[in-house]
Amino acid sequence: MDMSSESPSSIFPRTDWSELAQTSEADEARLDRLIRLYWTPLRIFLVASFPSLKEQAEVLLQEFAEDKILKKGWLQRADRGRGKFRDFLKTSLRNFVLDRLDRVEVKRPPVPLDELEQELPGPEATAEEFDLTWVRTVLAETLRRMEADCKDPKADQPRRGNIWEMFRIRLLEPILNDAPQAPYEQLIERFGLKSPTDASNMLLSGKRIFKAHLTRVIKDYAEQDAVAAAEIQELEEFVARLAGGG
Amino acid sequence: MSDFDSAGALSKSAPKSLAALMAEGAERAGLWRPDELGAIFRHQLSAPILVDLGGLDSATAARLKLLAEAQSLLLKSFSDLLLHPAPPVELLSLTKDFAKANMDHPESSLPKEVAAVLYYASISAALVRRGERISQLKDAELERGLRWAKDQPWVDKQIQQLLVQALNKMPGAGTGSDATL
Repeated sequence: MDMSSESPSSIFPRTDWSELAQTSEADEARLDRLIRLYWTPLRIFLVASFPSLKEQAEVLLQEFAEDKILKKGWLQRADRGRGKFRDFLKTSLRNFVLDRLDRVEVKRPPVPLDELEQELPGPEATAEEFDLTWVRTVLAETLRRMEADCKDPKADQPRRGNIWEMFRIRLLEPILNDAPQAPYEQLIERFGLKSPTDASNMLLSGKRIFKAHLTRVIKDYAEQDAVAAAEIQELEEFVARLAGGG
Repeated sequence: MSDFDSAGALSKSAPKSLAALMAEGAERAGLWRPDELGAIFRHQLSAPILVDLGGLDSATAARLKLLAEAQSLLLKSFSDLLLHPAPPVELLSLTKDFAKANMDHPESSLPKEVAAVLYYASISAALVRRGERISQLKDAELERGLRWAKDQPWVDKQIQQLLVQALNKMPGAGTGSDATL
């Protein structure tokens, strides 16, 4: 698998997958793309589940991505509307690693398989860390696509780039970097707006674009509208619960 | 693409930040601070009625023009209308409908709070200046809405006064529970 597109500062590969028309993609290629995108949460899950395999995590993940059984399981999922993609990946990865360990065990048995399994941390803690990293990846991909979309020189709206800047200054910087919230007077001046309602309009446009990309990022793996909506709600409730619990 | 590193910022962000960001796509409440809502409300009050309401449909636009002109061009803004001693009820009704449409529309550019105060202010003007009820809301619902609007800190004094006068015209007013500023 070519990982050359992965930026060192990124938590996921930087390839602009949105340029690829989803409808023309083969299912296997789409799975490969999704595994690359969610590489970090998968790695976290693998290391949390099998701490002794930390050094081999990258190689195992590469092999997992190329695994024929995984691809077969992906293609044969009877009802893609049922069951979560996240669970499918976790279960597949766990089975893949256990299978590998089983084979190694036959050839070279220094550490009993039972002991390796005993290393597993509480399933709840592992699941929480995996899901948290998954949310971060979903949001990072959403923002990456939104920025690219807003700054697309081919876009119809000539001032669409300002929407990204408004969204970044007014919402992203305060939320993610604890920056003070820019007052609307400053926004009006900066973007040459005529009124506060223009500023309101621009910010709402930003929110709408954000929401559209968030839905698309999740629909890439959830596939169906209803499943995507349920997944968004579940991820929202998950982070809200963590936030509430400190 | 920009100096802002979304992925980097997200990789360090706490669940609280992630929850706030996830919620951004969902609602328009909380978009502006109270002082900013005040500025948007003042701007809306000074906005030309014919521009905002005229967008409904061509027949309505023509009717609006007629109504506004009948008042010797005095009704140029929402503020002129709401504070007029004898505002046309039809124009107040259209304003109420305009505000309601903005309250209910998730993609409206007018903040929901501002649209709601405009909604209750138009009902108040009809009740106070013309003695007419242009709302189908039940008494208790209307009273609750009027009180909510009156209590918004960013609403200017004249509109607050109008809302208080409307509250005092509600059935049950004068029984010791008169509203005051």
